[in-house]
Amino acid sequence: MENYTKYKLKGRDELASVLTGTDNLFIIACNKCFKEFETVDEPDCDEFEKIVSEEGKTITGSAKVDFLCNKVQTERKLQDMIPEGTEHVFVISCGLGVQTVADMVNVPVYAAADSLNYRGHHGMALTKKSCDACAQCYLNVTGGVCPIVDCSKSLVNGQCGGAKNGKCEVDSSKDCAWEKIYRRLEKQGRLDEFLNQPVQMRDYSKADHKFVTEYVKSVRENRLDGYYGGVHPTERKEFTEHLPLEKFPDPETVVIPLSMHAGAPANPVVQVGDTVKVGQVIGESAGFISSPVHSSVSGTVTAIENHGHATRGECLSVVIRSDGKNTLHESVQPHKGLDDLTPDEIVEIVRDAGIVGMGGAGFPTSVKLKPAKPVDTILLNGCECEPLLTADHRVLLEFADDVIFGLKAILKATGAEKGLIVIEDNKPDAIELMKEKTAGYDNMDVVVARTKYPQGAEKMLIKRVTGRKVPSGGLPADVGCIVSNISTTKAISDAIQKGMPLIERVVTVTGEKLKKPGNYIVKIGTNTKDLIDYCGGLTDDDVTIKAGGPMMGFVLSDLNVPIMKGSNGIIAVETDHTVEQPCIKCGRCMDVCPMELSPLYFAKYADEENWQGMKDKNVMDCVECRCCEYICSSKIPLVAKIKAGKNAVRGMK
Amino acid sequence: MLITQLKARDTIASLTEGKKVFIINCHGCKEVYFPEKEAAALQKELADAGNVTGIMTTDYICNPENMELRLKKHMDEINAADAVLVFSCGVGVQAVSAYLEDKPVYAGCDTCRLPGFQGVTPLEYDCGQCGECYLNLTGGICPITACSKSLVNGQCGGAKNGMCEVDNNMECGWERIYRRLKEIGRLDVLKCPTQVRNYATDKEVSQQ
Repeated sequence: MENYTKYKLKGRDELASVLTGTDNLFIIACNKCFKEFETVDEPDCDEFEKIVSEEGKTITGSAKVDFLCNKVQTERKLQDMIPEGTEHVFVISCGLGVQTVADMVNVPVYAAADSLNYRGHHGMALTKKSCDACAQCYLNVTGGVCPIVDCSKSLVNGQCGGAKNGKCEVDSSKDCAWEKIYRRLEKQGRLDEFLNQPVQMRDYSKADHKFVTEYVKSVRENRLDGYYGGVHPTERKEFTEHLPLEKFPDPETVVIPLSMHAGAPANPVVQVGDTVKVGQVIGESAGFISSPVHSSVSGTVTAIENHGHATRGECLSVVIRSDGKNTLHESVQPHKGLDDLTPDEIVEIVRDAGIVGMGGAGFPTSVKLKPAKPVDTILLNGCECEPLLTADHRVLLEFADDVIFGLKAILKATGAEKGLIVIEDNKPDAIELMKEKTAGYDNMDVVVARTKYPQGAEKMLIKRVTGRKVPSGGLPADVGCIVSNISTTKAISDAIQKGMPLIERVVTVTGEKLKKPGNYIVKIGTNTKDLIDYCGGLTDDDVTIKAGGPMMGFVLSDLNVPIMKGSNGIIAVETDHTVEQPCIKCGRCMDVCPMELSPLYFAKYADEENWQGMKDKNVMDCVECRCCEYICSSKIPLVAKIKAGKNAVRGMK
Repeated sequence: MLITQLKARDTIASLTEGKKVFIINCHGCKEVYFPEKEAAALQKELADAGNVTGIMTTDYICNPENMELRLKKHMDEINAADAVLVFSCGVGVQAVSAYLEDKPVYAGCDTCRLPGFQGVTPLEYDCGQCGECYLNLTGGICPITACSKSLVNGQCGGAKNGMCEVDNNMECGWERIYRRLKEIGRLDVLKCPTQVRNYATDKEVSQQ
């Protein structure tokens, strides 16, 4: 691609005169954007340093920064960057970068370069000028050929008459745009329509920067709400958000994986041929970070074997043929009232009930409830920021009292002062109901958060609600918080009030490729294919099926996998038909990364197998929210590359 | 990076009247600006009237290779339509019309210029890309964008109480420049020779 340079170094004479009277310079160069992503340094920086030393000036240091115009990130990088004794700062960048720096440092800042005006190079069509953004698109009358850009004279009412042999009289290497327009319209049979057009008048007042500034400002200011970055994927929750929960018909056979949680897989404690009942332990916890597994039906164990698994490929699983009676196991008995339970007893009930984070990560909840540091705030995560999914939304609406009970139990178990239920503003009915339900409690409140993905990610949620920042590599408890998912909280209530371990959950089955979407209460171990079939099947074959939401879900190549504790959704969506292209340094990934990382380097370093480089760029802080991949204009599968990097970095230790 | 504004309803109605249309939405630059809700409402009206053969929402249709791959999946719907209505910036409309050369392709949006938003994370209108940076003479405040009149040799004298006479919500750019220069002890640069602005085209400037 053409090197879409944004600036070029000022001339020697001008620089010499600017340098007069200055000394002890610090030089900041912006790594150019919208260009091929190479590691070769920009020559401008060396050239300028050479000029500076030839003028006999002292350089206190220099730095090269990506996307200097990114104010939030630049402000962070500038801290401690400029050494003491620096009297003047020279910036090699376009005018945006110079002004960003000038606003942030308190010594004089100078521009060492001029911005180049590349008006008309936009979108990804950077190699070609194609839209001048005149605010009065003429393409509808010109068959999709732009008269402003393609005609040297930007005529809007036909050719000037000066073309020779179809070539422009101003620039003979260019085709006459109006001949192109004529031919295009002739081909489409639109000449009549075209020749009868009224005369077009260009309105130069429409390209009004004030209006544009206000537009952009309002959008951009909201973008930084609560935490840096994030994206706004189309929600598409209307398929299922108003559909009440429905009990999914009992499966004939369930396949229950012994690993549906973070940490060690459970050890099976039943054998083939054993009769089991609902709620009976079939797998024992195998360590501190592990969880027991229970039968979701009554019936006979027919196999203990490796079986397909949505996130791990394969996993040892217990296969149970249901007798259709759903006989409860003797151990399923309500516990004492919350007032009579000690914090340790609550944690024990939660552990024995096999409760793990049901938002997908599957971290054992009992471990979370015994944090190593004192905790003052419990955040119930009712954001459900993933597009399409409505499982937590329905749980909030239909099991509001259980959620409140679960929150009370968590508050008692941890001794935290305050429980906050955080709900995004796209669920006004849930907000209203929970406000009503919490009204009687001094230590509970509802927080309404403006919709932005990935608000439901633990670290973002904490930042958004409390303003606290979980340190790199740290846990929520490091800043006095515990985050619990809505379905998990409801499961805690079931474990205490009914004595029922985690054997079923709410699953949203949806997507534009599914005939009959819905929200279902599904037994753990139910086959995914049965869910899809029950929902009327798929509209056609060109479909991608994911366990989870469209952003963080796992692609299912085989539908013969069971529903697990963390399965909040099964979605059938359109397949994305794109191919990866080289990075053009558009900077969008850095703009949206909520962890304030530089994902473009992850793609580059993964391809070079430069694992140390990935580690240095803090790849381990990535939460794999997929914002970067979603926004990437080159369609680079960033998350896969990041996962490879994380694995390699883990291996380095 | 461009922002888009929906064309007037009448305009879109006159383009689509009596025609079957296939609709393409581009959400690539959505995090900057795209009138998503307004576009969806308008398209629902068109669809309810039974004139839509299909709607495709995608991103970065300015990338011709990927745009083609995606459009291929919808060719039946496109062939069934009399015209294609694209909601994107002008780059996207032209990319689609170049690919579907035989089909009338209409723009559902007007594209607004983003001078000064060429950087990757625009927050304010900051750089007019004039090609001859004045920031060295102005303490790092751009007179092209901070002054309504883009004056490069000092204030016009029309400011009242520090506010611009053209737009009284805006501070006088030259008062800001004066304050900044005073703060950094560089009032001496105001004695520089008179500046003359060079209006050469971008192409000429880049080739200088």
